[in-house]
Amino acid sequence: MASYIFRRLLQGLMVLLAVSFVCFCLFRYTGDPVLMLAGKYATQQEQEMVRQAYGLDQPPHIQYIKFIGGVLKGDFGKSYISQVDALDTILERFPATFELALSAIFISFVVGVGLGIVVSIWPTGFMSRMIMAGSLMGISIPTFLIGILLVMFFSVYLDILPSFGRGDTVMIGPWRTGLLTMDGLKHIILPALTLSGYQLAVMLRLTRAGMREVMGEEYIKTAWAKGLSPFKVIMKHALRNVMIPVVTIAGLSFGELIAFSIVTETIFQWPGMGNLLLTSIFETDQPIIVTYIMLASTIILSINIAVDLLYALLNPKIRYD
Amino acid sequence: MMKRLIVAATLIATLVLPSLAMAKADLTIAMDAPPKSMNPHAYSSDANYSYMSNFFDGLLQRTAPDGKIASALATEWKRVDSNTWEFKLRKGVKFHNGNKFNAEDVKFTFERMKDPKYSRFLNMGNSIASIDTPDEYTVIFHTVKPVPWFAETMPQMFIVDKESSLKRDDGDYNTRPIGTGAYIFDEWVKGSYLRMHANPDYWEGAPKYKTIEMRPIVEEATRFAALAGHQVDIVNGVPLTLYDRISKMPNIETITRPARRCIYLQVSNKPGTPFADKRVRQALAHAINEDEIIAKVMHGHAAKSAQIPDVPTIGYDASIKRLEYNPELAKKLLAEAGYKDGFEITLAGPNDRYINDEKICEAIVKYLSRIGLKAKLDVKPKSIFFDETANFKHPFYLIGWFDGSYDFGRTAEKNVHTWDKDKGMGGYNGAVYSNPEVDKLIIDSASILDRGEREKALQKINKMVMEDVAFIPLHYQEDMYAVAKGKGIKFSPRPDRWVVAKEIK
Repeated sequence: MASYIFRRLLQGLMVLLAVSFVCFCLFRYTGDPVLMLAGKYATQQEQEMVRQAYGLDQPPHIQYIKFIGGVLKGDFGKSYISQVDALDTILERFPATFELALSAIFISFVVGVGLGIVVSIWPTGFMSRMIMAGSLMGISIPTFLIGILLVMFFSVYLDILPSFGRGDTVMIGPWRTGLLTMDGLKHIILPALTLSGYQLAVMLRLTRAGMREVMGEEYIKTAWAKGLSPFKVIMKHALRNVMIPVVTIAGLSFGELIAFSIVTETIFQWPGMGNLLLTSIFETDQPIIVTYIMLASTIILSINIAVDLLYALLNPKIRYD
Repeated sequence: MMKRLIVAATLIATLVLPSLAMAKADLTIAMDAPPKSMNPHAYSSDANYSYMSNFFDGLLQRTAPDGKIASALATEWKRVDSNTWEFKLRKGVKFHNGNKFNAEDVKFTFERMKDPKYSRFLNMGNSIASIDTPDEYTVIFHTVKPVPWFAETMPQMFIVDKESSLKRDDGDYNTRPIGTGAYIFDEWVKGSYLRMHANPDYWEGAPKYKTIEMRPIVEEATRFAALAGHQVDIVNGVPLTLYDRISKMPNIETITRPARRCIYLQVSNKPGTPFADKRVRQALAHAINEDEIIAKVMHGHAAKSAQIPDVPTIGYDASIKRLEYNPELAKKLLAEAGYKDGFEITLAGPNDRYINDEKICEAIVKYLSRIGLKAKLDVKPKSIFFDETANFKHPFYLIGWFDGSYDFGRTAEKNVHTWDKDKGMGGYNGAVYSNPEVDKLIIDSASILDRGEREKALQKINKMVMEDVAFIPLHYQEDMYAVAKGKGIKFSPRPDRWVVAKEIK
């Protein structure tokens, strides 16, 4: 077991190293930050000056080794634009993204599972058919369209929900949260709904499939026969067994939601990491881009490794080698 | 499970209720670009100047609506000789931290501009040889070579406090501005808002609005929704595609004004290429139907241009006429130049920089193929495109330009003069246009002290390059703003697109 964990962690590190190398090379060759760093009227010599000051005149592999050396010391470099520590800049944005992802998962879990149960109990009802059709739309309509439609309806047409930003926030230690103010909660509804769209549909379909399978099992029939209340039969006996794959998916997609909420954050001007990434790409702010990708890969990798390890723990039939 | 949910819900509710709602700002402004840094010298874009102009002052300023130069931290200024500028400073001005403003701060500010770590104004910094401060309120700049537009760029050079700047670490310096401006910095939540309050001791008198929030909303549709949902009072950068809908909205007033930025094609005259023949360059210009571009691509929101500088720029010449749309003449010129069967030509351009840039390029390629050229299109993101033009990769490309100094001389040094690395000339002449006669005129014009004479010299350069078809001007863009009606907000946009809050009445 110990050697399995060690191997998984080592693999994870290798992947991270590869990811950092690929994006480092990639961003070295897409756009030259020097033009922007030196200013519009800088002469060639001044541009050279900047190149040297930022170490951009060195060959890419040296720059890369320096970058990795810094990373090992916890120093991811400074943003070209703001001259502020890259990791700090990203971490400052983390709470916003985390809360958005959390709300999105919460919505997709509660609504997705809830509707999944409804659909599995009355599989042929009119409402169920509508819900299933809706879930197909949730899977196939792109996020940005859902977002814009929601904004058009709730903000522009009905004028009941704000269309952008985080609203009022309060600080709890270093964590800036919008979940504890009325205004903040109002602001999170639309983006969280948008972000949850796809996951919601997936969870609905997973729950439905699982429930329909379980509902035919002997022990459920026994439960009905014993005269248990429908609530107990469905929630306690059936749903419990269905939840394992649903929870796994929810856990896995949480990491993805954090890392790839870019589109949603852009539409709603949500001050999170995705928004920052996009702005940084427009500004060729390479330190931020590389640090972001490293951080996102770390999050996704850690969640994957944790899930793998949990499986191995839960199911002894899975071999460690 | 239900019970736990109810408990959780009550818990959240109790936490939510006591939290105090933050007071809404007196004025909320939606901006189309986010601030990059609170270091006033960190980024040379209109967007960043716009934010910084509220916290900082320059030695001089430009006033709305016509962009005239006026006194700010300096009350008097003059060009003593071709390399010397003298500024008399305003007395009794204080920085937001209480420090006194004097000549030392000015000297420090301009010396710091030489440091690539803090400055995107290296060119400005390095053009200054030395700075004398004979007394506390006089600053004398000695420039390395004649810089005729020295005073004209002062409104963009914001003055920082020497004492606190030296003490603070970079993180603090780049996130918490301390200036002499009309507004004092409160809070900057990156990506979210920038909050400020009025400086009661401002030397021009305290501004009208006590608290202001500037909110960057980059996405066009979101900016529109914020306006429709009454969440903001002023919007800069109304999207072209939504303009008609927004102008029909009740409670919203739209304001348009001609922008200073000219969109044009930069053309090479490199020997050995078809471009070397002036008739070919003329043919290219005659092939383009600009009226149609303005009507169909720009939805009418652009003004035809005949030259790069706009009316308020020194060097603008009203007598310059556009080469009119005439495809037959274009074909004839091509045939005369010996290209009866055309040749291969590639138009390069950015696709994320100017309003509808890619669509304009597409239209031009169609016009060019109509006069028998095998025209190809090469558009790409600006981060790659500008890099390529700086490395002289494209002989023919679409680009936009406007000069914050209102002086065509500075533009000419960068865009018209033959590329000369040692002299620092022609860095943006990416198509490689070269005309020794023009080069000489540009150099000579820099030493002319008299403003009237200088204007004549610049007009001559402008006229010569336009006659030689070094550029094919297309149009000036239009700036569009929206303001909430019925709140008594008086907002007049500026030529440089800055949103200077003290000017909003």
